[in-house]
Amino acid sequence: MNEVDRAIIENLKRDARTSFREISRKLGVSTDTISNRYRKLRRSGVIQGSTVVINPEKIGYNSIIVLMIDAEPEYSPSILNELIRIVDIIIATKTIGDCDLMAISVVRNYEHIHELMLKVAKIPHVKDVQVSFCLGDMKIRPEYFII
Amino acid sequence: MAKLELDETDVKILRMLQQDARIPFTKIAEQCNVSTDTIIRSFGKMKEREVISGTTVLLNLKKMGYEYIASFFVDVNFPHISDGIKFIREIPEILWCVPTIGKHNLFTIAIFKDFSRLSEVRDLIKTHPHVINVSTNIWVGEVLLCPENFELNIKE
Repeated sequence: MNEVDRAIIENLKRDARTSFREISRKLGVSTDTISNRYRKLRRSGVIQGSTVVINPEKIGYNSIIVLMIDAEPEYSPSILNELIRIVDIIIATKTIGDCDLMAISVVRNYEHIHELMLKVAKIPHVKDVQVSFCLGDMKIRPEYFII
Repeated sequence: MAKLELDETDVKILRMLQQDARIPFTKIAEQCNVSTDTIIRSFGKMKEREVISGTTVLLNLKKMGYEYIASFFVDVNFPHISDGIKFIREIPEILWCVPTIGKHNLFTIAIFKDFSRLSEVRDLIKTHPHVINVSTNIWVGEVLLCPENFELNIKE
C-alpha cells in the first residue's frame, strides 16, 4: 500500500461518497490514478465494499446489548449462522475467553430484550445466555468489524 | 427519544446504500421510480436528522495489518466509572467503550496488530487504580456483521 492508497482509504472512511475528482484534487494527482488505485484496493480485498451508517437511536432503538453465549463448542458455526439471522443482531462472533460466542444487538425496549434472549436460548446446543446493557454512545462503528 | 418516520423511498435508499454506499443517486432514482431530486432531498433530510451518521468503506482488517479483535468486560470501582472510560478511550486501539449494566460495568472493543499488543493493552487497563478486573474475549474466525439487520419501520 502506498501513500495514495492510504489517502483514498482515509477519505472514503469518512465519506464513502467522496468523488475521485475531489480526492485527486486534494492529493494533486490525476483522477485516473485515484480510480486505478481504488480498483486495485477493491480487487485485492483491502476495501470490501461500502455502506451507510445508520444511527439506531433515530429509527426507534433505545439501547445496545451484548449477549454472552455458552454453547457446546462443536456447534458454534451453526449457532453463529442462526444468530445472524435474528433481526436486530448486528454483530455475532465466536470468542475465546469468558464465553463461547458473543452477539451485539440493537433493542427497542425490555420486552424486545426478553424476546431476543428467548430466541437465542432456543437455538439448539445453546446452554446459557447472559446479557449486558450498553449505555450512552450508540455510534458503534460497524465499518471496522469485517475481517 | 425522537424517532423519525421513514417513508418507503427513504427505506429503499437506505437499503441500497447499505449494499453500496457509492451508488449514484441517478441509479437509486431509477430503481425507486422517482426523480433524482427526490432522492437527493430524502438523503439530505436523513443526514440532517442524523438517521444517517455517514457513509463509509468496509475494510479488511487483516489486510490493514490488524490480526486480532478483542472485547473486554471491565469491572471498575463504580463511582469512578467515568474515569475508567476516559482512560480506556485514550488507548489508540480502542474502537468503542461504553458503561454497561449487568455482570460487569464497562464494555470495550479493540483491534490489535499482534498478540503481544493485545496482552499489553489488557495489562494497561488493569493498571488503572480503579479497575478491579478485566475479562478478555478474543474474537476468532469470521466476525459476522449484519448492519442490514436493523429493522426499518415504514410509516403507514
